[in-house]
Amino acid sequence: MSHLIDKTLWEIISQNTSDTESEWLTEKGKASPIELMTAFVASPRFLSKKIVNVEIEEEKALTDAVAGFSVNGWSLVRLSRVWLLTQLDETEKETFIKNIETLFDTAEMNELVALYSALPVLAYPEQWLFRATDAVRSNMGFVFDAIALHNPFPAKYFSELAWNQLVLKTIFNDKPVHFITGLEERENANLALILSDFAHERWAAGRSVAPNVWRLVSKFMNEQLLSDMKHLFESRQTQNQEAAALACYDSDYAPAKALLSSYPEFEKSIDEGALTWSNLEFTDLNTYVPTLQR
Amino acid sequence: MCQHCKDSSAPNPSHFEEGDGLANSPAHKEMAWSEYNELIQGMRFFDPHIHMVSRTTDDYQAMRQAGIVALIEPSFWVGQPRTGLSSFKDYYSSLVGWERFRSSQFGIKHYCTMGLNSREANNEPLAEQVMEILPLYIYKEGVVGIGEIGFDDQTPAEEKYYRLQLELAKEAKLPVQIHTPHRDKKRGTERSMAIALEHGLDPSWVIIDHNNEETVKSVLDQGFYAAFTIYPFTKMGNERMVKVVEQYGPERIMVNSAADWGISDPLALPKTAALMKMRGISDEAIRLVTYQNAIDAFGKSGQIDVSDFEGGLSVEKTEKFHGNSILRGGQQPDVSKDSLVIQ
Repeated sequence: MSHLIDKTLWEIISQNTSDTESEWLTEKGKASPIELMTAFVASPRFLSKKIVNVEIEEEKALTDAVAGFSVNGWSLVRLSRVWLLTQLDETEKETFIKNIETLFDTAEMNELVALYSALPVLAYPEQWLFRATDAVRSNMGFVFDAIALHNPFPAKYFSELAWNQLVLKTIFNDKPVHFITGLEERENANLALILSDFAHERWAAGRSVAPNVWRLVSKFMNEQLLSDMKHLFESRQTQNQEAAALACYDSDYAPAKALLSSYPEFEKSIDEGALTWSNLEFTDLNTYVPTLQR
Repeated sequence: MCQHCKDSSAPNPSHFEEGDGLANSPAHKEMAWSEYNELIQGMRFFDPHIHMVSRTTDDYQAMRQAGIVALIEPSFWVGQPRTGLSSFKDYYSSLVGWERFRSSQFGIKHYCTMGLNSREANNEPLAEQVMEILPLYIYKEGVVGIGEIGFDDQTPAEEKYYRLQLELAKEAKLPVQIHTPHRDKKRGTERSMAIALEHGLDPSWVIIDHNNEETVKSVLDQGFYAAFTIYPFTKMGNERMVKVVEQYGPERIMVNSAADWGISDPLALPKTAALMKMRGISDEAIRLVTYQNAIDAFGKSGQIDVSDFEGGLSVEKTEKFHGNSILRGGQQPDVSKDSLVIQ
C-alpha cells in the first residue's frame, strides 16, 4: 500500500466527516481484522449519506500515486470503506487474502462497489484478477460500473481477452465507453473486429450502436471496417456520419482517407477542430434505456 | 387445492400450509380487482413481508403499478433442505445483492430481514455454522431486522436458535420479525412472546407475524406489533382483515402478503386497501396498516429513509441510494403486455 494513497484518502475523509465520524473510522482502522471487517460492513450505520468533495490537489496526488485512480463523485461510505481496506493488515499474505475474500463472498451491492473500487490500491493485485473479471460478468449495473468505468485496474492487469470482454459489454450495455480508463492504450485489432461483428448483429435487429464506439477502429481500418464506415455515412444519421468521418480521419488506411474526401464538410469541420470524438460522448449510465437508440 | 395440502404427508412449505378450516367455505364473490382498483388511486403501500426471489418481473411491474413503493423480504427457507453453508451465504447475499438490484429496476425500494429460519434451526450442525456468519449480514445497509425467526414445530433446537437470535437482535439494535407456527398457533405465539420478553426485548421492537382473530388481542395487549398475512386459503382473507381493523383499530397493526412460491398474491396490500376503502374504513387507518406502521416498526433499525421511496424510486432516488452521482443502474422499461408483437 502506497503511503501517499493512504494519506491522501484520509485527508479527503477528514475534510468530509464530523469529529464523531472520523473518530469512529480512526478507531476501526486500528482494530483487529474482524472488527475492521465488521466496520466495513456497518459503515452506512455510522457515516452520513453524502458525496465527498475532493480538492484538485488531492485528486492530483491520487493520480500521481496510482495512474488513473480517482475518487471523484464517490459517496463518503464508499471512500471510507476503501480507506478501511487500506488499513487492513497485509503483512501475512494468506490471512489478508482470506479476509478480503470473505468480504467479497458476503458482500451486498454497495460493498461490492467499494471492494472493486479498492482493487487498484489493494496489496497483491494479481490475486484479484479473477474477482475483477467476475465483476465484468455481473448483471448489477452498479457493480459492473465499479470495475469497468473510471477504474485503472483492468487496463493494467487484464489479458486482451478479458479486456475485450469488458469493453464489449460496456458497449453492449450502451454505457459510455470513454469512461473506461486506458481505453486508447489497450485498443487492439481483435476488439475492432469484434465490434464490427457486434454492430452487424445490432443492425440486423434494426437497432443501433452508440456512434462514439467507432473511435476504437481507426488504427485497424481494413476492408471490412471500411464497409462499416460506408454504412455509417449512408445511415443519414448525423452522429453516425460524424463517427465515420472521425474514424476515417484518424486512420492511416488510404481507402479510408479517400472515403472521407467524398464528405468534405465533415473533413473541414474536423480540420477546424469543431468536430471531435467528444461531440459524440454521452454520460448516461442507464443500462436498459439507451438514449441513442433508434 | 387445500384438500390436497391436508392429505399431503410431505413437510409443508412455510406459508402454503394446510387450511385452518375456513378455506372450505371461500367467500367467492365476483368482484373483479380491475373494477375496484381505482379506489386506491394515489395511495402508497409498504409490504413488510414478501419473498421476491420467488416472484417474476410481471409481479414487480404489477406491484409498482398498484402503488407498492417499498417492501421487506424476510429470509426464509428455500422450499427444500439446504446442503451446506454456501447455500445460506448465496441466499443471504442475493437478498442484499441481486434481488435488491432487481427490485430497484422496477422502482421499488427493497429491504430485508436476516435470520435463520425455524425450520432450518432443526439441522443443528448447519445451524451452528449459520450463526457464525450471520453477524456479517445483519449489519448490512438496508437490513431492517432479524427475521423471520421463531417456531415451526416448536422443537428444542428451534427454541435454542430463536433465543440466540433474539440476543443478536438486542446487540445489533434491530427489530425482530417473528414467524408464528401454522400448527398449535396460539400456544406457539404465546411462547414466542414470553421468550422475547424474557430476553428483555422491548415489545414495540418485535413484530409478531401471521396473526389471526384468535391471537391478535393478546399480541396487542402485550405491546407487540401484530402483522397479518393476507394469503389465499391458508392464512387471513382480506374480508376478515377488514373486520379485525374495524374491531381493533389501526394502531400497531400491519398487513402483508407473505407472497412466495406458494399460491399467494403480491397485490394483497392494494387489494385489502381497496376492500377497506369500500367498507368505509378511513383513509388514515388504511395508510397506517398498509404503510406507516410497518415503517415505524422496522424503521427503528435506522435503515429506512422514506425520502428514498415516498416520491417514487426514480432514477435520481436510486442515485441517492447508491450515494454516487456517477453510478446508475437504470430502470426497466415498461413492456406492453397487450401487444402480440415483441420488440
